Amino acid sequence: MDNSKDNLERRCPRLGGPVSFQYCRTHGDNMLLPCWKIFDCWWEHFDISAFLKQNMPEDDFIKLVNAKPKPKVSSLIELIEQAKKRNI
Amino acid sequence: MERKKILLTEDEIPRQWYNVLADIKMNPPLGPDGKPVNPEALAPVFPMNLIEQEVSSERWIDIPEEVLRVYNIWRPSPLVRALSLEKALGTPAKIYFKNESVSPPGSHKPNTAVPQAYYNKVFGIKKITTETGAGQWGSALAFACAQFGIECKVFMVRISFDQKPYRKSMMAAWGSNCIASPSTETRAGRQALEKDPDTPGSLGIAISEAIEAAVTDETGQTRYSLGSVLNHVLLHQTIIGLEAKKQLEKVGEYPDVIIGCAGGGSNFAGLTLPFVHDKINGKEIKIYPVEPSACPTLTRAPFVYDHGDSAGYTPLIPMHSLGHNFMPAPIHAGGLRYHGMAPIVSQLANEGIIEAKSVTQLEAYKAGVVFARTEGIIPAPETNHALACVINEANKAKEEGKEKVILFNLSGHGLLDLAAYDKYFSGEMKDFILSDEELIKSEEVFADYPKPASLKSR
Repeated sequence: MDNSKDNLERRCPRLGGPVSFQYCRTHGDNMLLPCWKIFDCWWEHFDISAFLKQNMPEDDFIKLVNAKPKPKVSSLIELIEQAKKRNI
Repeated sequence: MERKKILLTEDEIPRQWYNVLADIKMNPPLGPDGKPVNPEALAPVFPMNLIEQEVSSERWIDIPEEVLRVYNIWRPSPLVRALSLEKALGTPAKIYFKNESVSPPGSHKPNTAVPQAYYNKVFGIKKITTETGAGQWGSALAFACAQFGIECKVFMVRISFDQKPYRKSMMAAWGSNCIASPSTETRAGRQALEKDPDTPGSLGIAISEAIEAAVTDETGQTRYSLGSVLNHVLLHQTIIGLEAKKQLEKVGEYPDVIIGCAGGGSNFAGLTLPFVHDKINGKEIKIYPVEPSACPTLTRAPFVYDHGDSAGYTPLIPMHSLGHNFMPAPIHAGGLRYHGMAPIVSQLANEGIIEAKSVTQLEAYKAGVVFARTEGIIPAPETNHALACVINEANKAKEEGKEKVILFNLSGHGLLDLAAYDKYFSGEMKDFILSDEELIKSEEVFADYPKPASLKSR
């Protein structure tokens, strides 16, 4: 992993405060992939697409490129089911 | 002296919210089976009275007296003539703004937090959970719950919790329990902490924790609250536009152009939906939602049924989308992935009732600074997008020599978001605009998808 850009910072539009590139790279909503907005936020700073393609497993990169936040209602229903399963 | 503020007395506050679902047709969200999602599936997290509002098609919905009593703390909010901004721009346009920054938490968010707390109380709910990123929504809900004696627990993403101590202080002042997420209070939180005890958290985990805390309360007295996107949220926000109409009537004005920033769509919809009602009934008026040019979902993306994921497991929902299989050229990756606009706002754009505009982030901050130096209020970063569009329209009026009336929503102040201004002042921001070729390519993904009906509400 190329860590050279990890200390770059910008304002996170979701959190409303400064975050490092390392945070965006490692703290997506499912904690497995980068944040789904990482392309939106970092294209102004460097070639984020090429960077991630070089530094992620191909399958994960494809998942990330295809990832989008779910429509709110369906997302809520999914989270309700997940919460119930966790607490059976 | 020219009149600066147009005020309503407390007894002039509107007594009903306007429900645009009575006047427009909407494609329903679809489940993986292709059938409409049943709203009752949301019952574990929302009280039934709010779910009824979510699907209601009644045009006017009474605002309960108890909600009006709390609204009266800061409402009716002032309608302000931006005389100094007009003068600085040298425009013949009259610029009015609805000042929603005067609410106790400093934004439009309590317009829905208050009724949500009230309806939960009426339903017998004792405790509300939510998540918050920046803390704006969390503090609005904390304020609202304090007014109705409801316990409120806010899961604030750890990184923000540490960065923004004043937000949690605000919530504490209103008696809410704001805790860092991940926490040890939920299984979702504990699982995240097991993986990394020092994790700064994420919005995804915070939402999971808030939902879990509501769903697993065996007493059935806890529910969850959301501050954006959903229909009932937009309904409650219409108090903004309804007041603005009354205030403009007092000075014999009616807007030619209405402008609001559009993130999830709630502040934009709150100001504009009552005027959308007029437009549907024949009024000539231009209504512009403004979004960052890096995220042009409304301005340039097609209106389609699209999945929330590429595998197609999640429901199809009609919305403006740029598609999920499109691989953008590297430099253009930004802006092709934004999602999450309120379905009502997407539908209005599709019908041509509203016409989306986009501005670059540099234009936005430049406008915010001009506004701060003329009208004195430092706007929230997202509000700056609306302001940039206002200035563009005012300059256009100057070129055309037309005395237009421009109305916009000052959705909040930026006093707890000054780090963003620092970035602007330090020159670290750059601009970028998308190409037509990539947008055309993005539409290819929808070739085999069902098409939303081209519904027209007028």
